[in-house]
Amino acid sequence: MTALDTTAATGPGTATHAPAGVAGTGTTPPATAPDPAVALARRIRLRAVQMVAPHGFGYLGQALSSAEQMAVLHTDFFRRGTDRFVCSPGHYVIAAYAVAREAGDLTDEQLGAYGQNGAELEAIGTETSPAVDLTCGSLAQGLSGAAGFALADRLRGREGSRRTFVLVSDGEVQEGQTWEAALFAGHHGLGDVVVLLDANDSQVDGPVSSITTIEPLVDKWAAFGWYAEEADGHDTAALRAALARAVADERPGVVIARTSTVHGLDCLPEDADGHFIKLPAELAARALAELEDGDA
Amino acid sequence: MREAPYPTVLKPYGRALVDLAREREDVVCLSGDLTRQCEVDLFQEVFPERFVHAGMAEANMMSMAGALAREGLQPWVHTFGVFATRRPYDQIVNAIAYPNLPVRIVGFMPGVSTPGGPSHQAIEDVALMRALPNMTVVDVADAVEIRQAVPLLADLPGPVYLRLKRGEIPVVFEDDHAFRVGGGQRLLTGGEVALLTGGMMLPATLRAAAVLRAHGVDAGVANLPTVKPLDRDTVLGAALGTRGVVTVENHSVIGGLGSAVAEVLAEAGAGVPLRRIGLRDTFAEGSKSGPYLFEKYGLSVREIVRTGWELAGRSGPAPEVRAPEPESGEYAPV
Repeated sequence: MTALDTTAATGPGTATHAPAGVAGTGTTPPATAPDPAVALARRIRLRAVQMVAPHGFGYLGQALSSAEQMAVLHTDFFRRGTDRFVCSPGHYVIAAYAVAREAGDLTDEQLGAYGQNGAELEAIGTETSPAVDLTCGSLAQGLSGAAGFALADRLRGREGSRRTFVLVSDGEVQEGQTWEAALFAGHHGLGDVVVLLDANDSQVDGPVSSITTIEPLVDKWAAFGWYAEEADGHDTAALRAALARAVADERPGVVIARTSTVHGLDCLPEDADGHFIKLPAELAARALAELEDGDA
Repeated sequence: MREAPYPTVLKPYGRALVDLAREREDVVCLSGDLTRQCEVDLFQEVFPERFVHAGMAEANMMSMAGALAREGLQPWVHTFGVFATRRPYDQIVNAIAYPNLPVRIVGFMPGVSTPGGPSHQAIEDVALMRALPNMTVVDVADAVEIRQAVPLLADLPGPVYLRLKRGEIPVVFEDDHAFRVGGGQRLLTGGEVALLTGGMMLPATLRAAAVLRAHGVDAGVANLPTVKPLDRDTVLGAALGTRGVVTVENHSVIGGLGSAVAEVLAEAGAGVPLRRIGLRDTFAEGSKSGPYLFEKYGLSVREIVRTGWELAGRSGPAPEVRAPEPESGEYAPV
């Protein structure tokens, strides 16, 4: 039984159905109870492996590094039908598909066609991708979109009625547009914008830290007028606490989640290319067995 | 249509946008640090709550505009044509054109109308915008077209690139002129050569036609303010049966009006010779004034006359064209 299996058809994060904590509050569950976000993170990994396995390779690392962030967001904060979710790097849309499957919004058949010719679910997010309010395969444009959403709320006198959560990758901060958007949101105090920044130190050519130094990330965002803190991106309790503070702060907020693209799947080789993980049939079978084992 | 010299007015676009915003509450105005230059200081004064300083951050401005449009607002985005197209091209593609959102991108200071050097001269903006699926591209000629175009463009479901001259705007048409998105007009019918133009080059083209006609060349003029979708019927109606077509544009001859007309002529099997007047695959350098650049790079009445004269098969030197000496408040063709 997973966290989301206990919810009604309305799915994850619904205020009236969230299994633990109340969406929008970030309340920490009792220490003795299992953390539903831990179970959901594992299910996100399982769904991602199911989508990637038929191809033998794909954007699995993005789901592995962001699984806990997506899980905590949806078990504790995201109000379905109210809040927006922007998946800035289109390659991460696999994680959103996985959450949508767990919520019952997508079917196994749809997931099975992920990335295939004629499929609804393209591997890199498009305009027709479900499960997101905005995504873009050309990177670093999502934060500007989120600022535009929040600005629309302000222009129509609806500020404070809904949040716009944005998943951003650490590689994206190399693009200047990230900082144009950060300046704008900071100057205008767009406090309804909350960023989960997946700092997995992975980009196509290698570790981000070996390509261009982007640290210190917390100091950079803070200097742009944001509430910023970092957390262990695979520790659901730490993420929950950090995200609660980022949500509560009146400034736009960012949680820099320190993560790994191979986390939570022990069978992967340590030197797997996190941007585009190879998953031949034998390894895929072991990965599915490892992740399904958690359902026992 | 009026006769040259044409009177000029200031800020017809700025006034038209204010008028539109009075009618439509969904209109919001974004400016990329060129508010007065893009005439939207008028909007800011009247509707400060619907005006947004995006600052010098065109990529962010375009992506935000897309999001505003997704939320049901109608953003009109303002900067110079160079900055509206070159810098944020990828953002326009992904945030505006691909999702087919009603964002109006308004690019001022087209072609060589500025002596600001190649960094400030939008010489391929029409080509860039025309290549994008879903994008409507409009390059209007005068204050009457501006006033008429703004509310019509507001009604389009998809994105628009509107190219506007900065500063003094001529009044070429009478009030009974009828701008229509996707429509052109044959202003003068002529059987020997067809001069096809739009935007800033209309006054020069009309003057060239008058010179040619005065010297016995039956030159027609068609106005094509919508570059995309191009009015195929007007192009073919003007071109078929003539000895040649001359396109005149304040833009590179690659990818703009001349290319669009060439595509129509070729696909229709028109078999009519074509000459394109515009920047001949070059950047424009070295000037203190815009008119100098128009002369230097062949975007002149003299060049239009010479080209039409040759196409019409006339022998001997083309008629001489006296350089205009504009008086203040009047608009001389360049």
